[in-house]
Parts: sequence; structure tokens; C-alpha cells
Amino acid sequence: MKSVAVAASAAIALLLPVTSAAHAEEPIKIGFAIAESGWLSNYDSAPFKAAVMKIEEINKAGGLLGRQIEYSVMDTKTEQARAATVGAQLVDSGVDMLVVSCDYDFGAPSALAAKQAGKIAFSLCAADPKMGVQGVGPLAFTANSAAQSEGIAIAEYGNKKMNLKSVYVLEDLTIEYNKSACAGFRAAWTASAGAETILGNDTFKNDDPSIASQITRLKGLATQPDAVFVCSFTPGGASAVRQLRAAGIDLPILANTAMVDNYWLNAVPGLKDFYLPAFMSLYGDDPRPEMNKFLESHKARYGEPPVSSYSVLGYSLIEQWAYAVEQAKTTESEAVVGVMNTFKDQPFTAGPTSFTDQLHIQVDRPWLIMKVENDSFRAVEVYRNSFKPDMKLLFRVGQ
Amino acid sequence: MANIVQVLVDAIALGSLYALVALAIGLVFGVMRLVNFAQADYITIGAYALVVPTVSVTPPLLLGALPSALMIGGVLVVVMALALLTERVAFRPLRNSNPSTLLISSFAVSYFLQNLVMLIHTGRPKSVGIGQGLANAVEIGGVRVPGVQLLTMVVTAGLLVALVLFLKKTPLGIQMRAAAENFQMARLLGMPANRVIALAFAISGLLGGAVSLLLTIQTGTLDLRMGLMPVVYAFFATVIGGMGSLPGAALGGFLVGVASVLLQTYLPADLRPFRDAGVFMMVILILLVRPQGLIVTSAAKERV
Repeated sequence: MKSVAVAASAAIALLLPVTSAAHAEEPIKIGFAIAESGWLSNYDSAPFKAAVMKIEEINKAGGLLGRQIEYSVMDTKTEQARAATVGAQLVDSGVDMLVVSCDYDFGAPSALAAKQAGKIAFSLCAADPKMGVQGVGPLAFTANSAAQSEGIAIAEYGNKKMNLKSVYVLEDLTIEYNKSACAGFRAAWTASAGAETILGNDTFKNDDPSIASQITRLKGLATQPDAVFVCSFTPGGASAVRQLRAAGIDLPILANTAMVDNYWLNAVPGLKDFYLPAFMSLYGDDPRPEMNKFLESHKARYGEPPVSSYSVLGYSLIEQWAYAVEQAKTTESEAVVGVMNTFKDQPFTAGPTSFTDQLHIQVDRPWLIMKVENDSFRAVEVYRNSFKPDMKLLFRVGQ
Repeated sequence: MANIVQVLVDAIALGSLYALVALAIGLVFGVMRLVNFAQADYITIGAYALVVPTVSVTPPLLLGALPSALMIGGVLVVVMALALLTERVAFRPLRNSNPSTLLISSFAVSYFLQNLVMLIHTGRPKSVGIGQGLANAVEIGGVRVPGVQLLTMVVTAGLLVALVLFLKKTPLGIQMRAAAENFQMARLLGMPANRVIALAFAISGLLGGAVSLLLTIQTGTLDLRMGLMPVVYAFFATVIGGMGSLPGAALGGFLVGVASVLLQTYLPADLRPFRDAGVFMMVILILLVRPQGLIVTSAAKERV
């Protein structure tokens, strides 16, 4: 009995100073409703690790508004229903901001839970503007650019900088992301070079075992185009590029951001003349010093470079929110969103960032154009698109 | 003219691939009345056996690093062993149960294998550069034939002939046909059920392994779901060919492959996204006209 009393008083003695200190400086809480298992986990984990890195950096530098940041993670298991539950649980636990999955379909259920509680939801890398005012609501943001912007950037770069005069579009219909990238590409190419210089369009599915008939159609064109734009993602995109090259089509290939990073290049040994807009280079040749600093910090923290260049978006997400909290001097959602909506080319690690009360996604953040050479992606130059997608193009209404 | 020949080559090559998968599905269905959806995962695992099992996105080669003959042998052995293992663990104990129970079991095996691959290799697609030389196209009289398409056609033709010879000329093959006709009767007449069924699985594994290699040479990529589409198509192929009929399965495989390529080629651009809908509509039409499939086995006929 005595020992119990001693233990209890010892516990109280231990707890007391902790609770009183916590009252004075209660930590800021960030929740992560992300996939730690299932197929999406591979896309969530890289930006998540970078986000954690940024949180640690802030804490080390004295915290945010003088308070430390705590974070908790719950696994959505790549299930939409679970994403909703997990989002609600994190919101109930009192988080100040909720980070959600790198995809609109899987991030939106969690983001809606945050919306119900009046909390900000920030997607790691959804490329759909519906992760914003018009879709989830005015408290939802994404750290990525709109998929249309990828297509726009590479269309303009191809026409204006690479002097490509005509193009052929090969569109993967499997997910909406590709269709958006292709829509952006067509709009910008038409604005830049005229609709008649798109010599043809064809479609395929990511899991098609063969694109032989698409290749036959391309080869059968009366005039061969100067380049082929492939809007797809791996593995189907890699398979399409392999089959194009194997069929002797040596035209420059333009692609969208999902095809970035070296991991798939084994599928097409000796690939060259392949160009895409990227967030950053993981291979040490990024012209922007802040990206190389990010790369070095990641290596120091985790002992390896990020597994994907989408990683920097997670880092920058925390950076953007923390900056807005500092300006607003509170974590209260309305005030923070008020500050974020005034961002106009605000310089962050991922690049200049703008939000308005209508748009919570980037439409003209500069891209690093990269090309494949000697079996690796190489930085070419930073390029900012001048054509800006309107709301019709962003939401693909009447397309 | 060259264009039409080219389209036909494309069509037959894809048809051959589907025919190989359909044969594997049809063979197992014949002896066991089981539509084995785990066939998709046999294909996937065969392809993943080419690389070292790690979470790395750029894994070093495992079987893929061996000389061609050993690599091919290795992949075939892995997939055959896997097929036999699933038969022993998941299907043999259920042999006397309802076909729908078997079907559920095959889904369970499929999910298990898929998650196993995800656990070991992660869900991120990977790439392998095997058979690069084969992927390149050769021009024959103005017609472009990628080496791998040619290989697919040759392998399919070869395996088809070998399978027919095996089924017609060897005692085990005859027993297998007997089992497909009437399992109970064949058993009463002394057919070794375990051996025959295991053999059917081993052959389905062999065909699965061949498809793994052909797909990997064609696409250069590894993905969790890589076996799924071919197996879904092959399933439709066995249905329109006539469930339980091997020539039917092969014919059905060719038909869906050819239809898919022809629709992709000749549909106007606006309708092309509905290519798969077109193929499946064709399946429905064939079944409306011939509910038993194109080639009807005597086993499938109603007995009075």
C-alpha cells in the first residue's frame, strides 16, 4: 500500500512540472492522414519524410510562435473510407492542421473531415485543383501545381525553346491526372503554334500490354511530327516509351512530371531526347542553390537522397503553412488562410508560390526542365510558362 | 496494303499473348472447374523474380542477371513451383467443394500474393532492361515486326503444338483430357487425380512464366497489377471460346486480342477511349448467339 502511495506521489511529482509547462507553451499539432501501406504509400512517404524534416528544423530553431510542433501520423491504408475515418480521428485529437494524401481521390475524404471541423487540409501533392476552394472547400490546399501546368510548361518549352514545329499527342486515359496534363498541353500548344500543328492524337491505357497499333498509326502519318507528347505515368508510360523507341521512333519525346526520376530508366537503356518539367533534380545539378541545400539536408537527416523528387513538395508545404502562421500570429484557420490567400510569388523552397481566394494550387510556378542523357535525368534550365490556364481548363469544363 | 498487313501483325501478336494466358486458364478450368484468378499473380511474380526482392526502386537483377537460358528456365521453375504450391495449399483441400468456393479461394490466393509482392517489393513500379535486343523491331517487306511480337507468336505456336501433342499422344495427356470430360468417371477408371491436377497447374505455371518473360521484354517494367489485364482478357477469351475447351481458349484469346487491336486502329478518335467497351460488347454478343461458347466440349453439354 505504501509503495503504491509513493509511486503515485512520484508520478504526480513527475507529471506536475510537465503539465504546467505544457499549459504555458502547448505544442502546435499537425496531423498526417496519409497512406503508410498500400500502393499510395510509396507516393506519400517521400514528401512525408521531407515534411517531418522541416518540422524538426523549425523546432530546432525555437519552434513556431515560440511553440514546438508535434505531429501524429495515421495510416489510411490507401483506402478512401479509411482516409475519412482517420482524418476525423486526427481532427478530433485536436490537430491545428491536417496534411492529407498525395492524390485528390484519396486525400479528399480526409480533407472533408478537416473542413467539417474548420481546420486547414493541405495535400502533399494532389495535382487536381478540386483540392481547393471549388472542390473540397476554402480551407483545402495542395502543395503541387495543377497537372495542366505540366502540359503547358512542356508545350511552351518545346515550341519556343526547342523550336519544335509540330507534335503528336499520345494520351493515357487511365487516370484524370493524365487527361488534365494533356488538356493543358493541347491548349498551350494551340496558343503557341496553332491547332493544325498537332498532327494527331491517340489514346492508350496504362496497363495495355502493347501499344503496337498506336505506333502503327503514328508511323503511318503522311508527315512525321517533330516530337511526341506522352501524358502518362509509370509503369505504362515507361512501357510506351520503350515500345516507341524499339519501333525506331527516335523523335524527341515530351512527357509530364509523373515520369520524372531515374528509377524507370532501366526499361529504356540508352534513352535520349526525352524531356519533361520537374520539381527539382535529385542528381546534384539543380541550378537553384536552395534545392541542393534541401538535397544535402535530406541526405544528412536520412542518410540517403529522397526517393522521389515529389519530396520537396512536402518540405515546402510545412514551410508555407508555418510562414502563414507566423504572419497571422495564430494557428486559427481563418486567419492563416487569410494570409495564405495573399501569397503572390512568395519565395519558398519549391519555388514562388501564389494562392488566391479562388485558387489553392499553382498554375505557373517555374519548372526545372530535365532531359535524359547517359541513363540519367539531367537539369536543363528553369522555365516558367507564360500561358495561364483559365478556370475552364483547370476544371476541364467544356473541353 | 502494307498498313493492313502491319495491323494484322499487331493484332495477331497481341492475340497470341492473350491466347497463352487463356490456355493456362482453360487448362485448369478443364480439369478442376476452377477459374484461377491467381494466374495474374503467377505472371506478376514470375516477372518480379527477375530482380532481387528489396524495397529499393532500382533493385539489382537476380534471375535477370543470368544467361538467357538459365534466366528463362529460372523464371519458368519459379512460376511452376508457385502454381503447384497454391494448388497444394489452397485448391486441393477444396477440390470437392462447390466451384464458387474454389473461385473465392482463387481470389483469396490472388489478394494474398499481390499483397506479398507489395510487402517485399513495395507498390512502386520498377523497371528491368532484359531482352533489349528482342524489343527492337525488324522490317520485313515494309512491315515492322518488333522482335518480341515475333517471339510471342513463335512461342505461342510452339507451346500450342507441344500442348496438343502432349494431350493427344502421352498417357498423362490422355488422362488429363479424360478428366476434363468427366472427372468422376476418369477417377473411377484409375486416373491419378492428384497427379493430373498438379500437372495441369504446373503447365499453367509454365505458360504463366512464358507470359511473364514476354510481357517484361515488351514493357521493360514490373508492376503489381501487370498480370491483371491479360488475365481478365483471357478469362473473357475462355468464356467466348467455350469453357473447358482448349482450342476454344486459344481461339478466344486470339479473337479478343485481334478485336482489341482492330478497334484501337479503326475506331474514330472520339470513340477510341471506348475500345474495351467494344471488346466486351463483342463478348456479350457472341454469348447471346452461342451461350456455350464457340467450341463446345461434350463435357459442357447438358446431359439428360
